[in-house]
Amino acid sequence: MIAGTGVSALLQIALPNAARPAVVAVGILYFAVVLGISVWAARRTNTARDFFVAGKGIGLIALTVASVSVSVSGFAFIGGPGFIYAVGLGAMYIVLPAAVTNVMGAWVLAKRMRLLGEARALITIPDAIGARYRSRGAQGLSAVAILVGIVGYMATNALAMGVVINSIFGVGLGWGIWIGMGVTLAYSASGGILAGIYNDVFQGSLMAVASVLVFLFVLNFGGGLGEISRTILAHDPTFLGPWGRLTPLAALSFFFVFSMGSLGQPQAVHKYYMLRDPLQLKWYPLLKTLGLVLVLLLYFSVGVGVKAFVLSGRLAPLASPDQATPALLLNVTPILLAALVFSGVAAATMSAANSFINIGAAIVTHDLPIAFGRRVKNELRWGRTVTVLIAIAAAITAQQSGTMVAFLGIFGWGLFASTLVPALAVGLNWQGATRAGAMASIATGLIITLALETAAYLKVFSFPAGVTASAVAMVASFLVFFIVSWITRRTASTEIDPDVRLVMEL
Amino acid sequence: MWAPWLLALGIPAALGAIMILGATRGDRGVGPLKIPFGFVILMLVIGFGAALTLPATEGPLSRLWLGLPARAAIVIYGIGLLPIFVLPIAYALTFDTQTLSAEDVERVRELARVNQAEKDMLATPPQSVGANEARKRRDKRMAE
Repeated sequence: MIAGTGVSALLQIALPNAARPAVVAVGILYFAVVLGISVWAARRTNTARDFFVAGKGIGLIALTVASVSVSVSGFAFIGGPGFIYAVGLGAMYIVLPAAVTNVMGAWVLAKRMRLLGEARALITIPDAIGARYRSRGAQGLSAVAILVGIVGYMATNALAMGVVINSIFGVGLGWGIWIGMGVTLAYSASGGILAGIYNDVFQGSLMAVASVLVFLFVLNFGGGLGEISRTILAHDPTFLGPWGRLTPLAALSFFFVFSMGSLGQPQAVHKYYMLRDPLQLKWYPLLKTLGLVLVLLLYFSVGVGVKAFVLSGRLAPLASPDQATPALLLNVTPILLAALVFSGVAAATMSAANSFINIGAAIVTHDLPIAFGRRVKNELRWGRTVTVLIAIAAAITAQQSGTMVAFLGIFGWGLFASTLVPALAVGLNWQGATRAGAMASIATGLIITLALETAAYLKVFSFPAGVTASAVAMVASFLVFFIVSWITRRTASTEIDPDVRLVMEL
Repeated sequence: MWAPWLLALGIPAALGAIMILGATRGDRGVGPLKIPFGFVILMLVIGFGAALTLPATEGPLSRLWLGLPARAAIVIYGIGLLPIFVLPIAYALTFDTQTLSAEDVERVRELARVNQAEKDMLATPPQSVGANEARKRRDKRMAE
């Protein structure tokens, strides 16, 4: 859900040095568990299907926790609370859609993606688009769009890992990047998505435990939510207004992008293929939503709590809003809890990086060759090779230019949303959608997102009242999708294979 | 002035529309799901509308609702938490009848088996009658 905004926000800050014996010890323990899971998973990965979609599938609980883990990046722990500290409750509009998005994804995508996997043994999101429109071109174009988004995500995640690991171990940013990417690579290349999933389960559990403990600590330390609110209302009532310091338009614009855009996030949508039994989807949205609520408790409680503690003088004023979580952890909470949260942040960034490495490798070795009418002979071997190359490229890019990397990380979420939501989410549910409509919509989303985000980054142009470029790009992509599909509607019925039609009608 | 209202009404409409699109099953429509869908769409409209229209009276003496002033409580609890107790539970309760049954899964698997058999036949030498029939079926489909 918030993996996109997260890493870039995490990059804006330099975390304080937290290298204390307890933090280092918990950090080492964390890495040891990750490596142990990776060795176990590597022994069970024998085919490309094992590598990209975990072979015969994953159970409900494991998949749910893993999905929560990849949906939340370090932003939920560092950048998000800082954002609340800066703008008040308006920052909650990024996470409020979680109440709706998981079940919306289940109705719109989960069943059809999972059944397409059953009917065609598909392994990627572009696979699904290619099957839906019977088009290698649409598959290739969506693969390119995802790959562009992944370039940004990977570089920013590599840098974010460096920031966090440097904070935990005090090894320097450069070494932090290579250690983080090295460990992620070790399990991505050896155990593929299977190692990724079970590491996500561990990492997601760690994040949930850390989040709940911090939430309880903040409430206890602040004398309850009511007391925290009273302190804030006495000094800064706007903070607890329904939009905080954002304009209503900006807050609602966030809600739109993070609700509708959730249907196009490949790291989450890709997981639907992996559920062992399609009938287990029954409880998936409820469990995932509850899991997300637990992980996001820290987001809300630290943002609001630290504001109250600073206003009441119990905490020194922050140098920057993003210091909200580190300041609370290093000055107020027990050091073991701080250690747990720092490892949780490392877990969040590594989990997201692993997921994107795997998706990127699948695109390079599977989707792009198919788009050009070719097949890679040994997808498993090439998958592992490309995984290594993507990780190394991301680590090198992360060390080059902080400004460029931050820019790359900004548009990931919006790019996935504007290129994939109409063609995939609407296309799999509406037989009137056409190949031309899908391809025009993907191209529109790609071009408009890149153009508007570049213009905003260079300060050439931005929308008034805080409206996000992603929201405008997504609306444009939808319009193009419907208009072109309507113009080419005569071809609609001929572009759906019988098995795909059955999946769409169920 | 009017722009936030477009989003306040448009977002619930868009989310409701795409959920209905995903949950609709042929002639049956969304069946009993119309009640939870309607409830959540209404909650979003009321929540956003209340946040836009209620006066900003937050202060140290404001009455708190579960620890938050009224407008914040409407947003956090009404928009952010209440749908959790409605939609995922409605999804689970109607899953077998409205979303996916064992028979549905078996139909897809059966079609996959037939398609696989066709592919296998296509891979056999051309003198095979079955392969020729499979080719004809494929060619007809491609021509369509």
